[in-house]
Amino acid sequence: MVVRQYQQELEYLERLSPYCWKIKKGFQPNMNVEGIFYVNQTLEKLMFEELKNACRPGMAGGFLPGVKQIANVAALPGIVGRSIGLPDVHSGYGFAIGNMAAFDMNNPESIVSPGGVGFDINCGVRLLRTSLMESDVLPIKEQLAQSLFDHIPVGVGSKGIIPMNAKDLEEALEMGMDWSLREGYIWAEDKEHCEEYGRMLNADPSKVSTRAKKRGLPQLGTLGAGNHYAEIQVVEEIFDKWAAGKMGIEEKGQVCVMIHSGSRGFGHQVATDALVQMEKAMKRDDIETNDRQLACARINSQEGQDYLKAMAAAANFAWVNRSSMTFLCRQAFAKQFGLAPDDLDMHVIYDVSHNIAKVEEHIVDGVPKTLLVHRKGSTRAFPPHHPLIPVDYQLTGQPVLIGGTMGTCSYVLTGTEQGMMETFGSTCHGAGRALSRAKSRRNLDYTDVLRKLESTGITIRVASPKLVMEEAPESYKNVTDVVDTCHAAGISKKCIKLRPIAVIKG
Amino acid sequence: MHSNIAVIHDSLLEIHDGEKYVVTKNNKIVKYSYLCLCTGAEPKLVPQAKDFEEILGIRDTDSVDKFVKKIANAKKVIVVGNGGIASELVYKIKNTEIHWVIKDRHISSTFVDPGAAEFFLPSLKNNEQSTEPVSKRMRYQEEDFKKSGAALGPDWYKNLIIRGAGDLTVPSEVKIHYESEITHISKDRNSVHPLQVTLSNGADLTCDLIISATGVTARKSFATETALELTEFGEIKVNEHMETNVPGIYAAGDVCSANWNVAKHWFQMKLWTQARQMGSYAARCMSGHLNKEEILQDFCFEMFAHSTKLFGYKVILLGLFNGQKLGTNYEILIRMTKGHEYVKFVLENNKLQGAVLIGDTDLEEMAENLILNQIDLSPYGDDILNPDIDIEDYFD
Repeated sequence: MVVRQYQQELEYLERLSPYCWKIKKGFQPNMNVEGIFYVNQTLEKLMFEELKNACRPGMAGGFLPGVKQIANVAALPGIVGRSIGLPDVHSGYGFAIGNMAAFDMNNPESIVSPGGVGFDINCGVRLLRTSLMESDVLPIKEQLAQSLFDHIPVGVGSKGIIPMNAKDLEEALEMGMDWSLREGYIWAEDKEHCEEYGRMLNADPSKVSTRAKKRGLPQLGTLGAGNHYAEIQVVEEIFDKWAAGKMGIEEKGQVCVMIHSGSRGFGHQVATDALVQMEKAMKRDDIETNDRQLACARINSQEGQDYLKAMAAAANFAWVNRSSMTFLCRQAFAKQFGLAPDDLDMHVIYDVSHNIAKVEEHIVDGVPKTLLVHRKGSTRAFPPHHPLIPVDYQLTGQPVLIGGTMGTCSYVLTGTEQGMMETFGSTCHGAGRALSRAKSRRNLDYTDVLRKLESTGITIRVASPKLVMEEAPESYKNVTDVVDTCHAAGISKKCIKLRPIAVIKG
Repeated sequence: MHSNIAVIHDSLLEIHDGEKYVVTKNNKIVKYSYLCLCTGAEPKLVPQAKDFEEILGIRDTDSVDKFVKKIANAKKVIVVGNGGIASELVYKIKNTEIHWVIKDRHISSTFVDPGAAEFFLPSLKNNEQSTEPVSKRMRYQEEDFKKSGAALGPDWYKNLIIRGAGDLTVPSEVKIHYESEITHISKDRNSVHPLQVTLSNGADLTCDLIISATGVTARKSFATETALELTEFGEIKVNEHMETNVPGIYAAGDVCSANWNVAKHWFQMKLWTQARQMGSYAARCMSGHLNKEEILQDFCFEMFAHSTKLFGYKVILLGLFNGQKLGTNYEILIRMTKGHEYVKFVLENNKLQGAVLIGDTDLEEMAENLILNQIDLSPYGDDILNPDIDIEDYFD
């Protein structure tokens, strides 16, 4: 990382509009293109505070500030347009979470990077609607939540309840939601409302290690823990009545179910395996990056192709996983209300992927190009009339599902033409975390515990905040600020706001 | 229950592995192609237990019933043992004076390190318990119609009110006797508390009831034609397919011992979670053998993972959470807030090998993945647990 004073760093940043800033070349070494990031007033303050903090002596730790990570991605071979930071951008492994970048498929130097997809490949959000109202659910909220917990395994070490053997897994990896449909877990129309119709055609299970398959097999149909969850939500506000109507959302108080989960350990193993392979490929092909975590390989190399095929298999895994949980949710609701899931109108409104790389057609400087688009913590947001969005949403634009962190609100947005032009049809994915003062506000007192542990003879390190409380940056990026920024910047449009009434998580 | 399952309420007497049939105590003969032994374990009681009806072991649902009845008349009890059940009991028993006798230097040593034990201590004084209306997983219950000593699942004390005969307004008092064992017990019927107990540290105590929760031994009370290979502790050795040395006979749960080359981050512990995993995997192995399908070893044997509740806190133990197998060649990184959370990472060569997560840390999925991926954490140093950084989705 280049070490400069904060004031010097600021010379590389330029405001383009009230909602976006440019990162000029030279901010980090070898930038091939410029960077850009989207913020509103609040988020802007957080971005700059984070950078300022990183410029302090002794603060250059393992966590790079978002702007630096965006600039490092701009230095990757074959990148076109700009390296884009969405309003929820925050520190992540390799790429920041909330960073998207596109690479020219026809440039032989162009790379694919697992760090630009994320470990949790095809982590995404799915939204189901129901015909129920808040008043139908509130009296039995706890029973319903328990019923969901009974159906959907959560937490570490939990196992799926949908029977799967090794052969089933191979088929699921290859077929994605076509497997779920064949096995009777989903409705045919669910596929229509998924990106890629729930199946990446280039998936090749033979490019996936046995360890990944073993790791994924028991986890199919499980939610996980940490920041993954299922929520029963109610419509709190409708911003675009017409578009909401197209999604089957008619009025405030309508009940929906949101599922936020990905490919679990399977994706992690695919990414881990690829990182090892790519470090070798980088040496061989003499690829240099600003950050070791940005391990990558040329798209056309063996390693690049193998990764894309394994990644596609992991994407299929994630869709089957969300589909299995959709099935289990429908069962739980049906049992609780004594009505069939279709009588409850439990249709999939949409299913988005926010950790994925895809081949897409875009216009770059007026020229149509085939690009490998990396979206990490970033959601595709295609405009009305785009050929890749379902017929039901041709006029509204693609629904974009933004999950709040647990307990906060979630949103449905729609894609816009401006987003297509400016951000390769991409928008935010949720709230931004990374830095928060919440925990250091607590009283961290280790004396007694350390005294007890000394007897073990093991080296003990203690995690503590580096800064005194008053100067620690507060960097939590509220989902409402994030969504408002996307709306104001025009890269997507607000449609529906949802409020959780029960959370299912590990 | 599946229609292809027939339940026989009886005890196993002999296994004729040559002709492949078993004989029960009631002289019933059952033929088999595959046999899986899941006879579990029985509590190790303090040696004096056979002489006193006031000494109880807790293992299965029957013994819990007996215990709840007996404690209802007790004002002063001794709990012996330092594992999960003892810890749960000490926290759960109300209105009774409790003496907790443990052989270690800190509480709950089966699960946690001395630091975490220190973290737990205040909750013994303040056992205001809230009951959660929703359980985060499928609930397990025994069918009511026939109780025949099933081992205790994770929900055994969920709806149990364990109340002694003490004054209702007085909360339980817990006095911990560290590094001690019971050396002598005698009985005086005329005393207020009939049992007179001497501890190895010299203390003399009286009490109404002794609860012995000092671990279990494999329950194997049947004969076989071909001798089953056993460990020195009497557990049946099984290979990576849960099969014993006798063809067609499998074993799972507390009665067996994992006799394969176990993965680095896994080890066996007599826990309901592992018993359940082994049972399910053994079933798949038998079915795979029958159908000549290849069965990959279940991934749950790749990393130790146990989720439980101790002293009212959510407790998650992952991998080599106490540095098991690592000797002294590792580091620990700790973050703690009294009454809130205790996070311990076990690191070897800057890679995560195990973790103890107490409280609502939301770190379990990340820790699980860091252990299994073996990502190099040296760039982050102590910041991996920096309280200023929400790390949960960094590795997503």
